[in-house]
Amino acid sequence: MKHLKFISRTVLVRNENVDEACRILNRIMGSEGFLDQYRRTRYYEKPTQMRRRINYEKCKAVYDEDMKRKINFVLRKNRPEPFPGCY
Amino acid sequence: MFVRVFRDLCRQTGYSNEHNVVRRCLHVTQQMEKNRDRRSFLASVPRIDEGTEGEKFVYIDSAITKKEDMFPDMNTSNMLFGGIKFSDIPICHIKSSKNNTILHVTKPSGERIMIRSCGMEGFKNTRKGTNIAAQATAIGLATRVLELGIHTVRVTIQGLGPGRMSSIKGLTMGGLKIISVTDDTPISWNPLRPRKQRKL
Repeated sequence: MKHLKFISRTVLVRNENVDEACRILNRIMGSEGFLDQYRRTRYYEKPTQMRRRINYEKCKAVYDEDMKRKINFVLRKNRPEPFPGCY
Repeated sequence: MFVRVFRDLCRQTGYSNEHNVVRRCLHVTQQMEKNRDRRSFLASVPRIDEGTEGEKFVYIDSAITKKEDMFPDMNTSNMLFGGIKFSDIPICHIKSSKNNTILHVTKPSGERIMIRSCGMEGFKNTRKGTNIAAQATAIGLATRVLELGIHTVRVTIQGLGPGRMSSIKGLTMGGLKIISVTDDTPISWNPLRPRKQRKL
């Protein structure tokens, strides 16, 4: 389906604050991976480079997930003793 | 490289004049210094401005504010901005590439009203691909367009380049009122084979 112009990838400017609108647009484009894909397709990516990149991304995702769990565990709230090990 | 090895040898054997030289292993030192040189070199090179401000970092005040009314819906095309329907407002197409920025004001149907680029504005060669050139071009375009009686525009941006943000800034500085910003970059997930990578 063709994306409707001025509906998709559009941010309305509020209170004449153009900078904020641009920043939000950039943020959304970046977090959805559009900008990365655009940058990646400027030059041909050799199959070996692609495999290396994908493997790296997989490893990073696993590490990030574990690290996130760890941080959440350390920062968890409503525990019986609020500051364990600190007297 | 040889000079560095020789210097390190002097340090090891104590021939150096400096007294407070840290004694380091020859091989490790060389490797580390090589690494450090590259890092300092990369740090000294200014980062290329791609106009993607806000991609990696969130500003606190924009994170707090509500964003519901910032995104268009099905009724937006009939909304009135200064007495004109959203869908009837002229469009300013901005194509920012690495080496140039082209601004193009059209009617909503696509008929051309005015076109300006950094090259037309008098910037030549590498100066075309700077954010200052883009801003100057945008200001020039805005003043010309205001004479024709166009006060509000919708903006579409294409491509990453130094003119991506600065040309929008220039339009507002020139006195145009921007009501929406659209990203129109052509992005494909199964593209044709691009050109080969640059050898550095």
